[in-house]
Amino acid sequence: MSVQALISIREVTKRYPGVVALDSINLDIREGECHSIVGENGAGKSTLMKILSGVITDYEGDLELRGERIRFSGTRAAEAAGISIIHQELNLVEELSASANIFLGREKVRGLGLLDDVSMERAAGELLKSLECDVDPRERAGALRVGDQQLIEIAKALSLNTEILIMDEPTSALTESEVARLYRVIERLREQNVTILYISHKMDEIFRISDRITVLRDGQLVETLDREATDPRRITHLMVGREIEATSFDEPRQPTGEILRVENLSLPWPGHAKEWRLRDISFSLQSGEILGIAGLMGAGRTELMECLFGASEVPYQGEVVFDGESVRFHHPAEAKAAGVALVTEDRKRLGLFSQMSVGNNITMCTLDELVSMPLRQIDRRKEAAAAEESISQLAIKTSGPEAQVTSLSGGNQQKTIIARWLRTNPKVLLLDDPTRGVDVGAKAELYRLMDSLCREGLGILLTSSELPELLTVCDRIIVFCEGRLTGEFTREEATEEKLMEAATQLE
Amino acid sequence: MALNSAGGIQGAQAPSGLSRLYSRYATECGLLIAIFAVIVIAILIDPTNAYLEKPWYNATEILRHASILGIFAMGAGIVIISGGIDLSSGSVIAFSGVICCSMILGLCQFAGLVDDTGNPVTANLPGWILVVAISGTLGVGFIVGSFHAWLITVVRLPPFIATLASLVGLRSLGRVLIQDVNRVFTSNANTQIYIRDATYKSLGNEWYIPVIICAVVALVLFTLMRSTVTGRHLYAIGGNEDAARLSGISTEKKKWLAYCIGTMTAALAGILYSSYVGGAMPDRDGLGYELNAIAAAVVGGCSLAGGLGTISGIVLGAIFLRVVIDAVAKTVKDNPDEFQGMIVGLLVVLAVTFNELRSQKGDRKKFFPGALGIVNIISLTVLMGLVAMLVTSDGDSSTDDSRDKLFAGCLVAGITFAVLVARKMFESRPTGEQALVSTPITANAQSDSSAGGSSSESGKQEIEGDGPGGGEEADEGMDS
Repeated sequence: MSVQALISIREVTKRYPGVVALDSINLDIREGECHSIVGENGAGKSTLMKILSGVITDYEGDLELRGERIRFSGTRAAEAAGISIIHQELNLVEELSASANIFLGREKVRGLGLLDDVSMERAAGELLKSLECDVDPRERAGALRVGDQQLIEIAKALSLNTEILIMDEPTSALTESEVARLYRVIERLREQNVTILYISHKMDEIFRISDRITVLRDGQLVETLDREATDPRRITHLMVGREIEATSFDEPRQPTGEILRVENLSLPWPGHAKEWRLRDISFSLQSGEILGIAGLMGAGRTELMECLFGASEVPYQGEVVFDGESVRFHHPAEAKAAGVALVTEDRKRLGLFSQMSVGNNITMCTLDELVSMPLRQIDRRKEAAAAEESISQLAIKTSGPEAQVTSLSGGNQQKTIIARWLRTNPKVLLLDDPTRGVDVGAKAELYRLMDSLCREGLGILLTSSELPELLTVCDRIIVFCEGRLTGEFTREEATEEKLMEAATQLE
Repeated sequence: MALNSAGGIQGAQAPSGLSRLYSRYATECGLLIAIFAVIVIAILIDPTNAYLEKPWYNATEILRHASILGIFAMGAGIVIISGGIDLSSGSVIAFSGVICCSMILGLCQFAGLVDDTGNPVTANLPGWILVVAISGTLGVGFIVGSFHAWLITVVRLPPFIATLASLVGLRSLGRVLIQDVNRVFTSNANTQIYIRDATYKSLGNEWYIPVIICAVVALVLFTLMRSTVTGRHLYAIGGNEDAARLSGISTEKKKWLAYCIGTMTAALAGILYSSYVGGAMPDRDGLGYELNAIAAAVVGGCSLAGGLGTISGIVLGAIFLRVVIDAVAKTVKDNPDEFQGMIVGLLVVLAVTFNELRSQKGDRKKFFPGALGIVNIISLTVLMGLVAMLVTSDGDSSTDDSRDKLFAGCLVAGITFAVLVARKMFESRPTGEQALVSTPITANAQSDSSAGGSSSESGKQEIEGDGPGGGEEADEGMDS
């Protein structure tokens, strides 16, 4: 590196149980540059930024700040060293005012230890004005628009004399005018010689503001490029260019007629700058077919599945035709009875009953079939038999139905939940990112499972944050970008580049 | 000691045979041992040998009280298992007493059972009056429970708030109501109602009736929770409400049931209690009982986070609570009632502490960190000394009382202080790098797209010390 590096990341590795989130990353950040970090979901961008900003404190390797080795004990220490981060999910205390948020933890006080609100509000007002944000510093933070809330975080960072500002997908919740204002703020920060690390996967943003671009993939640093020396197509290629172990399903599957059709489905997003979570989605799914939904985080994949499963808090508009009839489920119980099953995205939070055994988890949806007559009490023998059957059918690795479900590996927990839903004899299976946090071998098993289920006549709707996965398993793939359907491909047509282009195709 | 053994409930592997039975019923086994131990200790240190002289009387008294507590503790426990909390049981007990007695008065008037002055005669009531009054009271319990369920699932109040409103509101309503009832049906405006009927009084005064009712309720609820789909669903809702809803369980209906069980068991206990005291006194009846119920449930192995606990554990928890209260009453002769609050408070703290420890097992917990720890070492020392002084007050008061008290107080305070300071020294040993790493402040607020959660600081773990030394010491001090 010819130019003096402000931060040097040396051989930084971060391991989670079973996964290497970052693998020996080496990267120099130059003073005053705007450096974009790009990569697919789960590539390690956020993990790396959390290490830089002191959120994650146990990792292997070293950080150097102006040539000196540092190791932060927490975010405070990082802030003291001049590194601040603006998280994708903002970190404001909604009940406090804008100025109180900006000075949270380092409040100005007068004599007697009383808060000096006047001078804090004045300082906050000046900071916000310099950021083109004309909100009253006394306004409650929760009452502000997301774009303004973000500027409050930036103002907070500036009041800390931040030299390095990390922004984690800052535009994901902004309107277009707010995005334009954010660009101007970034320009102004750069004039003040603030170094900016910008995380995004939106090509137009990256090429608009950055000096250099680093591509991460599967926890490894692929390449760092000057903006002038590259183009979006090449970056996209670097982001996705990964080999997946070829699980080939030679025989083509035979779809046997439409089971689910969605027409002009729109889901309002009350109180949000973008009015729609989903807008005019139309597609159709056949029995015996796997339809993939590609899209980046926040594209609306999960929301679509919730709509189809009757689990959406907000009622959707449009029509869903299931098995030849127009349906509208108001509760998951109705969807379950009709023959729709949903395996949720967040296994721990929305799927598992972690204090229960494997068997109890498997039979949870079908207990009504496992009762014996007089008192309708659960017949333990039938229940155990049902659980055993599912365990062997899906080859769940467990010591038996009595084992605690938390003692299983991620892949086997996922199979447990799939087993729960297969017992309901669904006609349509909605799988929301089923391979997240699952190791490679178990992934291949899940693919084979999906394939065989499909051949038995099930219609499967599958989302994944990994494009190669969709390309391997799906017959057709539709692509979402910010709530809109931006592409539809057959497996033969689809390539990772095409999918990624559609997924980043902004309005 | 009772609670110690509760830890083994979540074995990772599926054990077989006896050990499986034990691991499933670890809480129950521990409680049985604890109940036995408390009785033995009480017999050993009780100077008047009350237990040995009148074993039958004492056993039936304990069983009567434990049964009445057990009935509504099971209701409170089911609400807790389903992930909620019911603070209303004490007030529901008072209110249902008022309702039951008021209905009896009203039905007497209706049936023409009045004396010369027009006041109802409540002796020798016909059976149908009792049946109607009792069913009506249970119906009121159902209505109150449905109201809770409506507030919680439709209006979406937190369970704590919804039932807190009943806690303060229902007792007050009962007190106002009873005066008007008296004004309408009798010639006075008393704040109490007395029922003379022998059958009614026998419900709570014959020891075996509450015991049988408790046993029947326990059997029904045990079957409900352990063997029915509904029971399984209640555990599921308590363990993970979102997952339960997404599994097609109608969480609202199940919660409705849970809160109705909570209030209907309290109403049943209220009828028995009113029968025991011979009428309704809503200003005093069941005062603070909601905490006793929650305490029994928690001591019996329910987690306030929901999803854990058994009916058998709750019943044993209620028995344990009553045994401890009774044992203290036997050993402390004068005004034992006043000790009840201390005992319940202590057991609740201990039980919840243990629950917390159970859920984060393996974590080395510091009990006395920094300045807060020092303040609490001092306050616990003073508290233990004070308790020891108070407890010493009885016994043979032939010797110089005050010197004895002072001596006992100082002794216990000294021992407590030494133990707690030793614990603090043990905790504040330097433990390598772990001591230097401060917790990341903002780590909880992010949605992790990448693998795993926020930084898990699983540094070098010390070998776990022997439980919370301070807590056990306090337990011992209370018993003796």
